Amino acid sequence: MPFGQIGARVDRYAYTNNLANTSAATKLLFALSVLVICVAAQSQIVPFFVFFMNTTLLLVYAKISAKFYWKMLLYPLATALLSCVLIALFFGYGEPLTEISTPWFTWTIFKSGVAMAVSTFLRVAGGLSCLYFLVLTTPVTDMLITLRRLHVPLILVEMSLLIYRYIFVLLEIASQMNTAQDMRLGNTNWIIKIKSTALLAGNLFIRTLEQGERTFTAMSARGYDGEIRTLDDLPHPRFELIIGILFFDVLLILVSVLLPSQWSLLT
Amino acid sequence: MHIMEGFLPSPWWELWMAIMIPIEIYGIYRISFVTKNNPKTKPLLALVGAFIFVLSALKLPSVTGSCSHPTGSGLAAVIFGPAIAAVLSMIVLVFQALLLAHGGLTTLGANVVSMGIVGPIVAYGTWTICKKAKVNSSFGVFLAVALGDLLTYVATSVQLALAFPTSAGFIDAFAKFGTVFAVTQIPLAIAEGILAVFLFDFLVKYKGKLLSTIGTINLPSALKRGD
Repeated sequence: MPFGQIGARVDRYAYTNNLANTSAATKLLFALSVLVICVAAQSQIVPFFVFFMNTTLLLVYAKISAKFYWKMLLYPLATALLSCVLIALFFGYGEPLTEISTPWFTWTIFKSGVAMAVSTFLRVAGGLSCLYFLVLTTPVTDMLITLRRLHVPLILVEMSLLIYRYIFVLLEIASQMNTAQDMRLGNTNWIIKIKSTALLAGNLFIRTLEQGERTFTAMSARGYDGEIRTLDDLPHPRFELIIGILFFDVLLILVSVLLPSQWSLLT
Repeated sequence: MHIMEGFLPSPWWELWMAIMIPIEIYGIYRISFVTKNNPKTKPLLALVGAFIFVLSALKLPSVTGSCSHPTGSGLAAVIFGPAIAAVLSMIVLVFQALLLAHGGLTTLGANVVSMGIVGPIVAYGTWTICKKAKVNSSFGVFLAVALGDLLTYVATSVQLALAFPTSAGFIDAFAKFGTVFAVTQIPLAIAEGILAVFLFDFLVKYKGKLLSTIGTINLPSALKRGD
């Protein structure tokens, strides 16, 4: 399963990268604030700059493999590019850029449509780089512990922990059942394969639920009272880093306000 | 239907986020009520969440800055009601954004409104009507889940059409986005409906007692066996 591989690799990087020992709160503050500014900015230079900076941080400071990073970027960016080409061709209004005339129909491409497509693509790239910065440097459990420190409703954090765990249980059981089916020649031809998949899907649900209930029983036996207590030994955020990030955010906001929206690659 | 990170321009992602928040707060209230009364429902809730994750990770890219896939939130709505389905969908969407770059954090509002709110409400409504009309429960689940899935995509098309206007106005943009989705989504909705019927039957057969404690579906007493 491709998710299993990518997800596991993302998880591994999150624990082993060079920024793993920085406090999760600092990284969350940085990634989320930059993300919001990047997506809200009207000018096209801001997302471009954000993308460049996050990529540098990830590759130079966190020491993520460049090959893996590009592989992760490739698929979403290719989809975004395709969508943006369509937006440029079909959408927009007002001043036309060119007209394509054929004997059967005339096709108008609008300036605003092309401008919309370019900013959308840059926004997607900038936003993605912020997301990747967050996930490649910070383990999901650290994020959840930080959320609990910030007094996010406990039930929400706990359901997230359980669901996160169950995603991997579900995938693991699916792969085990698939191996068992393979060994018993359950995937030899197309029709048998469909039948096997149906069996797998139905049994997977019940098998995982049963495993979950066993976990629940085990937890209850160890004094589980509806609250998962994990060791909260995350490093605390460093004051100068927080100030630095806030200063940087203000700088980005100033750039996005002062450089008017016309300052773009295409107007 | 996840709209990717950064795809929606500025007034729109904030707007959907604002619509999402009060509904999520109500959902969190509901979920803590259910789990406090019966802590044994937690594994089931988490499993259904993981199930939504796996189902909606099976994506087919579609050329509208979004993609087509089964949603899984329809079944969650039938079992737990739309408010809890909204919370589960939100958690799953955050994980998908973080682990798969599928959807995004700023577009979370828009994605939750379509997949976690509109879809489940439609599914739950259809299921309730089918139950009142005494339709066969398998067919009821099928119809509820398939319609919930389809309406999720209609909602996404509306969101995209509002954000990306064309010269001919909103209806034209909506038709353009809707056409792209309809091709891939109608077969997927039917497939998801059939899958949901199987899973629902499994659940009722083996976990009928647990389901009836949640209280959203009233099972005939003959089915309340097992735990």
